[in-house]
Amino acid sequence: MKLNTVGKNIIRVDSYSKVTGKALYPQDIYLENMLYAKTLRSESPHAYIEVDTTEAEKVDGVVKIFTHKDVPYNHHGVVLHDHNVFCDKKVRSIGDPIAFIVGESEEACIRSMKAIKVNYAEIPGVFDPVEAMKEDSPKVHDDKSNIIYHYKLRKGNVEEAFKNCAVIVENTYSTHMQEHAFLQPEAGLSYVDEDGTIVVVVATQYPHYDREIIARALNLKDEQVRIINTNIGGAFGAREDITMQIHLALASKTLNRPVKVIYNREESFLAHSKRHPMIMKYKTGADKDGYLMAMEAEIIGDSGAYCSWAINVLRKAGVHSTGPYVIPNVKVDSYAVYTNNPFTGAMRGFGATQVPNAAEQQMDILAEKLGISPIEIRRRNIFRVGSKTATGQVLLEGVPLDRCLETIAEKYEEFLELKEFGNLKAEEESI
Amino acid sequence: MKKRGVGIGLSFYGTGYGNGFPDVSNAEVQLMEDGKVAIFVGATEVGQGAKTALIQIGAETLQLDYKNIIFINEDTDMMPDSGTAAATRQTYNTGNAIKIACENFNEEIKKAAQKALGLNSTAGLIVKDGVVYLAMFPDKRISYKELSKIYKDDIIKAKGTFTAQTVKMDDETGQGAPYWPYTFNACMVLVEVDTNTGRVELLKSIFAQDVGRAVNPRLVEGQMDGGFAMGLGYTLFEDLNLDKGKMRNNRFSKYLIPTSMDMIDIENIIIEDPESTAPYGAKGIGEPTTIPVGPAILNAIYDATGVRVTHLPVTPENLMKAIRESEKSEAI
Amino acid sequence: MFIQLVINGINYKVDIDPNMRLIDLLRDKLGLVGTKEGCGEGECGACTVIMDGESVNSCMVMAFQADGSNITTIEGLEENGELHPIQKAYMEEGSVQCGFCIPGMIMSTKALLDKHPNPNREEIREGISGNLCRCTGYNKAINAAERAIEILKEGAKNEA
Repeated sequence: MKLNTVGKNIIRVDSYSKVTGKALYPQDIYLENMLYAKTLRSESPHAYIEVDTTEAEKVDGVVKIFTHKDVPYNHHGVVLHDHNVFCDKKVRSIGDPIAFIVGESEEACIRSMKAIKVNYAEIPGVFDPVEAMKEDSPKVHDDKSNIIYHYKLRKGNVEEAFKNCAVIVENTYSTHMQEHAFLQPEAGLSYVDEDGTIVVVVATQYPHYDREIIARALNLKDEQVRIINTNIGGAFGAREDITMQIHLALASKTLNRPVKVIYNREESFLAHSKRHPMIMKYKTGADKDGYLMAMEAEIIGDSGAYCSWAINVLRKAGVHSTGPYVIPNVKVDSYAVYTNNPFTGAMRGFGATQVPNAAEQQMDILAEKLGISPIEIRRRNIFRVGSKTATGQVLLEGVPLDRCLETIAEKYEEFLELKEFGNLKAEEESI
Repeated sequence: MKKRGVGIGLSFYGTGYGNGFPDVSNAEVQLMEDGKVAIFVGATEVGQGAKTALIQIGAETLQLDYKNIIFINEDTDMMPDSGTAAATRQTYNTGNAIKIACENFNEEIKKAAQKALGLNSTAGLIVKDGVVYLAMFPDKRISYKELSKIYKDDIIKAKGTFTAQTVKMDDETGQGAPYWPYTFNACMVLVEVDTNTGRVELLKSIFAQDVGRAVNPRLVEGQMDGGFAMGLGYTLFEDLNLDKGKMRNNRFSKYLIPTSMDMIDIENIIIEDPESTAPYGAKGIGEPTTIPVGPAILNAIYDATGVRVTHLPVTPENLMKAIRESEKSEAI
Repeated sequence: MFIQLVINGINYKVDIDPNMRLIDLLRDKLGLVGTKEGCGEGECGACTVIMDGESVNSCMVMAFQADGSNITTIEGLEENGELHPIQKAYMEEGSVQCGFCIPGMIMSTKALLDKHPNPNREEIREGISGNLCRCTGYNKAINAAERAIEILKEGAKNEA
């Protein structure tokens, strides 16, 4: 196929505005008669709350303090609607939004925010997903089980297969929470158009979703809300869940004036999701020639206080837990679990980033036990065209993993030489 | 003492919403008054390069210079829903929707040209560089600009929708076809571990990434470098230091992401194997580029030290702890 | 209080609050929003500007400290409608992704090249090490600095 444009290194169409500083992000936009806002957030990971805004409302320059009482439908969430727009009776994690203070200046909002009295009646929290799975653990959402989701993958018969393995490796791995740390902290503005449309100017991954969620929370039709997506200073999954969008729309709709909010870096850390920490218990077996025979895995993902994408993330972790290898017998159980930790959600790789830290180390351990190289054990097991995954999917085409592997394999000797050279030098120096 | 090690990591990554969930992208294409062509899609440019890559796919299908394309993707009042800019789905899913919409547009503009040129049929009409002409008699031709003048009130436009194919997995067995397409990669690193301090230094890396087809190779390399850096930070530095639900490291002075000094030049190799269901064969690569880096580093740390690190991140403190524990267990 | 300073070659006399930071003066008061705030604690470098020849984090400089100074921001790099070679190189080399760190990164690169016209790759790495970027992995920014050095040399040759 002769292609004219696809395959060419065309200069990014947005790069001129970005190298000149002309590209606008929400924080760069200033509107006339604009109000500012600040978000009061929970300082407790698990508590019943009582909020008193009486004194805070008297602060000079404050226009209105919004709380759960002002929101027609006080729920949102990408899969389950388990987030409150503003917490009403209970906070479930540090950083949960409680109130939105709107005023003539940022300083006035900060003064007012400090004057809001929140009475926290602490509830025992649960911070370890394994603990949270136990029946007698503190429950994060009313009396609901903390186990949000259980994905099961069953193929062949692992018990029988392990009996016939020449080598078996068992290990438990764990990964931690990761922050997206995009460079542009969340910011947004909202105003009401001449025709009554509520316009929300924001940096988001999915503007149509934002529109729908705002409309639902405020009891509006989708068409009454318009999202203008500015330049976006990185996302990596953290701009999928709603942060300030409903707050802003509610404020501009109620006050009929433009409202702007900018999160600082600390608030950005608090406001959006994180990468799921996972505990990954693996048992992998191969025959004497290094062909994988069976794999069993239990994966527990910490969803924090809210579900966000936990169901999809733990499902994806389960599907990808085998690594890109043909394994005839597979048993996987993955769980998404509520805790009182910061909530976790979408982040680059979405559950498939955690599991290879276990699966790929298992491969190397097996290879070492069998006396074959890390390259060779992979060569014997990788997906190729026509391979079947553990879920029974036939990989009909587009499986150039062999080419990826051979590309790095060509350099393997060179890398080993550099390693030996460095180690020899270090030894000489140490003598 | 400084010890070097080599490690590799492989990964596969299923793109799209997956698991039978309707994964739909819409696109609209319209002739503008000046003869330029506008593409309207709800695909967000988060920095990954969607705007440029999708314009390239549109330009290819329209057989038009990409500079003559107006791309609108910022306003829900103007653009159709093209799904989220996530799941590594925009190049494949919205790319496909744009390709379909542009193909439909080509048919619409041929019909308009047939009328304007007084022809009996659209058979043999070619669209190229903003002109519709008859292949057997190229003098029969009309430009998009002229067509836009003729049709100004009766706008020439077309739509395209693409829905990806996946099969929901069985609740009890997990059997099904949860994602399509899959993207593959392999990464190898050489590291140097200081066994006195626990510091891991990256010395060299080669990274091979399947892309189906690279719409814009330089953008692909940018994703590979950026994905690598994010995987590096994840594995070696980034730690929120959670304590009873509180993030102790909630600022850049405490939560350390890689700087230019932590990165090295990566030998990025783009592996092309065009996918038949993808627009010009192009698959998404945004997320996968971060995945094999951590495993490669972990395997390299073992190769250097003989210590398996089973808990991330491998901060100097954590690595020293792991080294000491392994020395202890060896002594027994 | 009033301060006087030169920004991008223009003389300003502005009324400032004593607790105003330089970044607030640039963005809120003068509308120079190309300078970005990413952390507010001098860690990310998105707010880098050049003050009397030195690159500074404008979130860590108080506005009154800039009294009498000469400041260049990203808006001041273009000359006669022509992009600065560093800006051109950033475009050509594909060094830009989300773009939020880019003004600061370009200003740090300019401060480096103004002082050391011929740095090697490692020196460029060091020169931009105060600028965090989460998208690009930095390598294409380093390519761009190398390309800019070439363009600047060609320019100097042509002038000679």
